[in-house]
Amino acid sequence: MSARLPLVIAALALLQGCVTARVDELVYNEPEAGVGNASVVILGRRHAADYETEPDFIECLGDYITDRDPGVRVIGELDFINALYPWFEPRTAPLHPQDIDRLLQQQVVAQRMRELNTGYMIWIDGNTVSSDAGGSMACAVGPGIGGCFGFGTWSNDAEYEATIWDLTGQSEVGRVNTTATGQSYMPAVIVPIPIIAPVQGTACDSLGAQLLQFLSGNY
Amino acid sequence: MRSTTSGPDNVSRFNRPGRVSRLALAALLALALCACGPTTVNVQGRFPRPLMDPLPLKIGVWYPQEFRTHEFHDETTSREQSAWIVETGPAQVEMWDTVLAGMFRDLVYMDGPPGPQQMNPVVNAVLIPHVDELQYAIPTQTKVKVYEIWMRYRFELVTTGGELIAEWTMPAYGKTPTAFLQSDQAAVNLAAVVALRDAGANFITSFAQLPAVRAFLEPAVVMSSPAASADKEDRS
Repeated sequence: MSARLPLVIAALALLQGCVTARVDELVYNEPEAGVGNASVVILGRRHAADYETEPDFIECLGDYITDRDPGVRVIGELDFINALYPWFEPRTAPLHPQDIDRLLQQQVVAQRMRELNTGYMIWIDGNTVSSDAGGSMACAVGPGIGGCFGFGTWSNDAEYEATIWDLTGQSEVGRVNTTATGQSYMPAVIVPIPIIAPVQGTACDSLGAQLLQFLSGNY
Repeated sequence: MRSTTSGPDNVSRFNRPGRVSRLALAALLALALCACGPTTVNVQGRFPRPLMDPLPLKIGVWYPQEFRTHEFHDETTSREQSAWIVETGPAQVEMWDTVLAGMFRDLVYMDGPPGPQQMNPVVNAVLIPHVDELQYAIPTQTKVKVYEIWMRYRFELVTTGGELIAEWTMPAYGKTPTAFLQSDQAAVNLAAVVALRDAGANFITSFAQLPAVRAFLEPAVVMSSPAASADKEDRS
């Protein structure tokens, strides 16, 4: 069993589609020693009509940062928007750093923000889409037997932009853009074998690495 | 349970092969009939209390029966033939209870619909919410990988005697992307919860901006402001 394990892992590693990722970074005012005691919140933009940033992508970014530097305190997205309801709902969320000032004019909101000690707010805008699906596959089930035959392929494209706001100075201090593209395949001879390109995961790693550099004094 | 025996071979009635196959057939038929029924979503969610300074009003609320038990099914079909039934009533009440309790100084539940003959607690005004329309869209209908719920509310703000102070409509919208291993029901529920949260957010931010509501609010807000209290003390 133990001898087969490396083979299984190697086979699984080979069954991943290829992904190409690109990161553009533009940072104006990076904190020299990281964010220190202040907390960070990562929020998804959800005001567009035709798409919304996936909550699990936001969670992935938070996990990426805290796994590598536990000193960076990342507040959960849902915890933050619940604590400040209704001021960070898609309808009411601030679109510019200057809008934060308008929110802080309410004493209860200012008090809650002080309690959360949020130094930086990172807005993620984008999503992952599947396109260019091709090929065909036929499946049949009969008494005691069943299976599929064919070949399918599709492309996954991820595009995300992170905008970093410094809440102390109420200004935008950085912007990171990442794109990732990958081709997934599914050949089927009796059993379909999905060879999935981890496009969203690659985009998460690329963006997470840049955000970690910004937020952590250790990277 | 005691089994009854009969027959020449003393085989239990429930163990006879014919009986077993009839039971199995009936079970399969019942399963098939269940599969043909509508998909029901009983919307459930948790709604946070709004973070705001409460308006200085003792507000009453009356949820009409059709609001408390609100549900939605395809308008083109009967309830039984509809592919989906979305039950939002209990979640509506839970959400509006939370929002109104955080938005006003006091929230009081009315004993009956406001009117000249109805005995009700004394309040500044009574809010009566209605859901006039609800629509949903799921990926199998739209080919867009987003689950959506759209609602149109109608609100009446009345005196305890039933006289109309203001009446207005308000939209609410919620959507959620498709997610791997998430059922259609879970996704519709999530979209409905997002729509309810949006309704609360829209109501909180727009209520005091409505001209008729503003005209009603101004005396109450002015009378309860610190400046008004100081002025009152000076005069006394």
